[in-house]
Amino acid sequence: MAESVRAALFARLRERSPAPAEPAEIARALAAIGYATAARMPHADLHTAFIANVLANKGTLELALDRGAAVRAIGRYLYKRFRTHKLVAGNDPRLAAMPWRDGGVLPRFGAAEPGDAAALSYARLGVAETGAIVTFTGRANPGRNNLLPEDHLVLVNREDVVATLEDAWAKIRLETGAGAWPRGIQFIAGPSSTADVEAQLVLGAHGPRRWHVILVGDTPAQDLEQARGELPEA
Amino acid sequence: MKVASQDFLQQAHEALRAKDKVERRDLLGQFMPAARDAAANAYGDFDGLRAHMKRVRGHTTEHLAHYLQQFEEAAVAHGNQVHFAATAEQLNSTVLSICQTHNARRVAKGKSMVTEETGLNELLLKAGLEVLETDLGEYIIQQAGEAPSHIVGPAFHKSLAEVRELFLAKHKLGERALESVSDIVEEARGVLRERFLAADVGIIGANALIAEHGTTMLVTNEGNGDLCANLPPVLIICTTFERLLPRAEDAMALQRLLVRSATGQSHTCYTSFYSGPRREDDVDGPLETHIILLDNKRSDILASDYHEILDCIRCGACLNHCPIYIGVGGHAYGWVYPGPMGSVLTPLLTSLEQSHDLPNACTSCGRCAEVCPVNIPLPDLLRDLRQEESAQQLKPARWRRGLRLHAWLLRQPVLYQRLTGWSMSALGLLGKRRGAFRRMPFASGWTSQRDFPAPEAGGTFMRQYAARKRRGGRRG
Amino acid sequence: MDKPQAKRKRSRPRRDVALMVTCLADLMRPSVGFSAIRLLERAGCRVTVPEQQTCCGQPAYNSGEIDAAVPVAQAVIETFEPFDYVVIPSGSCAGMLSHHYPALFEGEWRERALALSAKTWELTRFLTEVALLPAPKRAALEAAVTYHDGCAGLREMGIQQQPRQLLQEQCGVQVQELTENQVCCGFGGTFCARMPEISGKMADDKLNHAVASGAKVLAGGDLGCLLHLAGRAKRRGLDLEIRHIAELLAGNPKGPGIGEGRQ
Repeated sequence: MAESVRAALFARLRERSPAPAEPAEIARALAAIGYATAARMPHADLHTAFIANVLANKGTLELALDRGAAVRAIGRYLYKRFRTHKLVAGNDPRLAAMPWRDGGVLPRFGAAEPGDAAALSYARLGVAETGAIVTFTGRANPGRNNLLPEDHLVLVNREDVVATLEDAWAKIRLETGAGAWPRGIQFIAGPSSTADVEAQLVLGAHGPRRWHVILVGDTPAQDLEQARGELPEA
Repeated sequence: MKVASQDFLQQAHEALRAKDKVERRDLLGQFMPAARDAAANAYGDFDGLRAHMKRVRGHTTEHLAHYLQQFEEAAVAHGNQVHFAATAEQLNSTVLSICQTHNARRVAKGKSMVTEETGLNELLLKAGLEVLETDLGEYIIQQAGEAPSHIVGPAFHKSLAEVRELFLAKHKLGERALESVSDIVEEARGVLRERFLAADVGIIGANALIAEHGTTMLVTNEGNGDLCANLPPVLIICTTFERLLPRAEDAMALQRLLVRSATGQSHTCYTSFYSGPRREDDVDGPLETHIILLDNKRSDILASDYHEILDCIRCGACLNHCPIYIGVGGHAYGWVYPGPMGSVLTPLLTSLEQSHDLPNACTSCGRCAEVCPVNIPLPDLLRDLRQEESAQQLKPARWRRGLRLHAWLLRQPVLYQRLTGWSMSALGLLGKRRGAFRRMPFASGWTSQRDFPAPEAGGTFMRQYAARKRRGGRRG
Repeated sequence: MDKPQAKRKRSRPRRDVALMVTCLADLMRPSVGFSAIRLLERAGCRVTVPEQQTCCGQPAYNSGEIDAAVPVAQAVIETFEPFDYVVIPSGSCAGMLSHHYPALFEGEWRERALALSAKTWELTRFLTEVALLPAPKRAALEAAVTYHDGCAGLREMGIQQQPRQLLQEQCGVQVQELTENQVCCGFGGTFCARMPEISGKMADDKLNHAVASGAKVLAGGDLGCLLHLAGRAKRRGLDLEIRHIAELLAGNPKGPGIGEGRQ
């Protein structure tokens, strides 16, 4: 029965166009349509735009020159927020290689559990157009690490920030060869929120309440200041 | 969901009497269009983006069999089980069968209008499963036993006070008071967190099916859909077969349009693409994933003059901009999809007989078409349905006869001008003093709400003009 | 002192304009038609009023009686296609001819409908883009005026700035905008009689906004909207004078507003 439902549907669809186009023709027609244009950026500079959009998304952001600085930043954040040195992080080799002890942080590597205050992800990409970061599910970043904890901390390398959503997919395609497709590709742009009651926006729906991005690399401090000054109207 | 569209007028009447709800909707009708406009302007060439999306969807539906096959092959290659359901019943029984195979007791649901359409929850509940909506708006109306009133914010019709009362009745709050919206959200977060973790099956919808990759796109602000897609051991994705887009980049165009048109935001918090069950590298996620592709008359619609309605991305902009929707609210429409898009889709998915009032709840003002992100010609589709209503003899006979008689009379100018000349002169004379009539024969629909303005004294324009010409004068 | 002006020869031939008066102006408010003629002549046009006109056919068309509307459209096309310009004091009727007639036909009739569409003008747009009015020789209108933008005029014929410009230039009046001026008033043809309660609510919203604007006069470009609003205003006893813009532009009107008596 199931197969006949499928067959009947395809038969119906095919009877609409009795002389269907060749796949190559279809691909050409699609290519001719091209891609959409991206949204206007809040700033001409890529990284300033990224920062500005992360902040507009109700995330927080700080700069860290290198991984050592990043670990210290994470340590400060955890202590300020939770009076703790603990967090959970995926088995990302980049995370494993960080100088945790120097920063006084005690990561547990694995999947987040309910009750975990903070989880850390190393993003694959940052997208300036929307102020989003991109992660893949897997040992390096279990899907639940983005969702279960109270606070989600994200590291993004400066050189991994791209301008538009289409640029992000160009990079994603490079990373996913045949058979290397991750179970989930997640674009995350802010702490979780809802406007379901009286259309009032509230942060901290089911996902994390807070979203803290650490941009790793040599970003001038004035980029952060400029980004702050250019926040769109609330 | 049970169809109550045949009671539109009565439901609209009741909705208009609840003044506090009317006020709330008026605010929505002012606030949402302003937010949408601001977001569209900040974007850049938003109209260009809309036209682009229309081209993409036009291309996709032109080659739908090709893209559906491409999607299916890729999705199966990823390890998904892909099911085709011709009817609502088939979708429901497929879901139930999967749940029963796994001895599932508890189901966590993300927002899925398709499952509302098919009435899935009722079937699962009857079979003894616990079904919990996790989208906050859906959770609220589930607890209240109500239908959604808006396709984006199903609980927009509920005030904070009403939600507070609901939670007081349904949750164990102890001494806690829920003062603000934040408190409500916090409370829901706590209760629903447990349910995500305990669920045997997660059921979500899909904003799009990406043909080239065989992935499903999920867009939320809350993250509840993603929790349903990552925690339970079995995941079922329910959607309709034509929600296809060729490339991931097309999903990006969709996302840009959807969020700005829906809420005036520039992005959504969570945009995810799920490809299937756990890979070797995964430490979490479902062990088994099912994608159920529903037809339920979509293939009929695709072959009809109404096929553009299938491009609808469920943004709700047409609802927010429709003065009739804002006036009477979503419940008046009596089914899953209200407002302009609902007034096209409901007759097509149920029957014109049951829902022919809906396409008539329209002044052809055109505001819906002005903001539809995929440029669906809603006013034209609604008019076409009114034409079908007439052809199927569902329109009240006196209206049909009256309009056709009037149209015939318009083509007999001498007779028309004589009749109107006489009657307007008489009415003009009768109404001269007061200027308007409280009652008018054959016009009770008009006079139930308004006085009937009297024609100017002196007779019709054509008569006066002809008389002046005869007298030799040129103008008045 | 300026006598010679009256005797000065016309430097340019008059434009030949056919007036479609609209069924509502014909039946309910002929002064709108006469005002339109006065305005067009002032703007240097020679106005013809074809005798056999009745209506554009919107009522049947919008209600879904498309086949009944087709012969009406054909009659209108035949009546008006001989002229260089067709001018109409209504956004919805102009929209019907311009946008909807071509969609009714194929082949030769479609070509004829398109040709008619190309020379169909709503009155205020005609007077701001084609035939301009000279400066008025009368005092400014001493009344606060607000304006309702009819939906078809706005969205099909691009009428928004033109009435405001003309009110400024001809009546010395700056429109006091009412909030949500682009939201439908609830007339919608047969809708207002088939769904009176909803239509009444929409009228109330519009009228409340009009009153809140501080204006004493509510003007508009479509008699359908104005009759519906005036009827509701009268039912509620609102102190609002409702007029078609042509009446205001042609001269300070002396007769009663829509729905007002002579008491």
